[in-house]
Amino acid sequence: MTEVLPVEENREDRVASILKGFQVNWMNLRDADTGKILWQNSEDMSNPDIEHEARVPKRILKCRVVSREMNFSSIESMDRFRLEQKVLFKGRCLEEWFFEFGFVIRNSTNTWQSVIESAPESQMMPANVLNGNVVIETKFFDGDLLITTSRVRLFYV
Amino acid sequence: MMGLLNILKKLRSNPDKELRLLLLGLDNAGKTTLLKQLASEDVNHVTPTAGFNIKSVLSNGFKLNVWDIGGQRKIRPYWRNYFENTDILIYVVDCSDHQRLEETGQELAELLEDEKLRGVPLLVYANKQDLASALPASEIAQHLGLHLIRDRTWQIQACVATDGTGVKEGMEWVCKNIPAKK
Repeated sequence: MTEVLPVEENREDRVASILKGFQVNWMNLRDADTGKILWQNSEDMSNPDIEHEARVPKRILKCRVVSREMNFSSIESMDRFRLEQKVLFKGRCLEEWFFEFGFVIRNSTNTWQSVIESAPESQMMPANVLNGNVVIETKFFDGDLLITTSRVRLFYV
Repeated sequence: MMGLLNILKKLRSNPDKELRLLLLGLDNAGKTTLLKQLASEDVNHVTPTAGFNIKSVLSNGFKLNVWDIGGQRKIRPYWRNYFENTDILIYVVDCSDHQRLEETGQELAELLEDEKLRGVPLLVYANKQDLASALPASEIAQHLGLHLIRDRTWQIQACVATDGTGVKEGMEWVCKNIPAKK
């Protein structure tokens, strides 16, 4: 006879096993007009225990179009992988992306790149105002299960 | 990414707010290089895709997502997981890989038979035209039996993904052939 596990316990186990095999390998920011990388980092930014820091060149604020790219690996397969990415200024949401990947192949390495046009320069906040006050928050889910949250604070140098 | 942003701008008249292009083909066909070329990115260090690469572009409320799925044999069984809601299928062929022409033809034939991709317009990129051993697009079309396709519009475009030759022309066809909302 099989024992039925309480649902909550099942969910926790599932999150733990996905998280154990989940890793953000690198992230970068590009000037999407030229395709040139302005900042990149290869520490695991999915570690939810730390707020990660990124020192980004100021000139990124002059770019008309910027791309954010992340590369991640998963040992477990997932059926409804999705993420919610927010750009927060002093905790207030300036910009939001929802993206549904759907199926993730077990033992796969994948990239997701999002591109957005910047606000007109006249509406852009200056670097000294933004500096240290902008956080890119990325939440990873399988369906409605939150796997992990990545926070990266931006400094404009 | 300007290539993709421009595509999106041309599509503003389309009532669909979110578009999905699916990029498939055998391993080493040049799918990822093509995608990077569209974004003006460095194509010198492309490695085999062991999963997917997605580029999402947002402009004035319109979203374009391009899905590039790895082409290795062990990944191909998973392709079906990514068919849903595809607006255009882009199939990339390495025209210098004579040995696997039959294999790429078979994979394409299977895609075209799939219910989830029924009626989805097909663009074939006949890639690596810069190589002396590359077959011309017309011969690739014959090998793939494109002229026998009756249930969808299709196009074949000769290209060199590493330097961008022909890539833009293919994407212009894509823009003109995005189907109206299903």
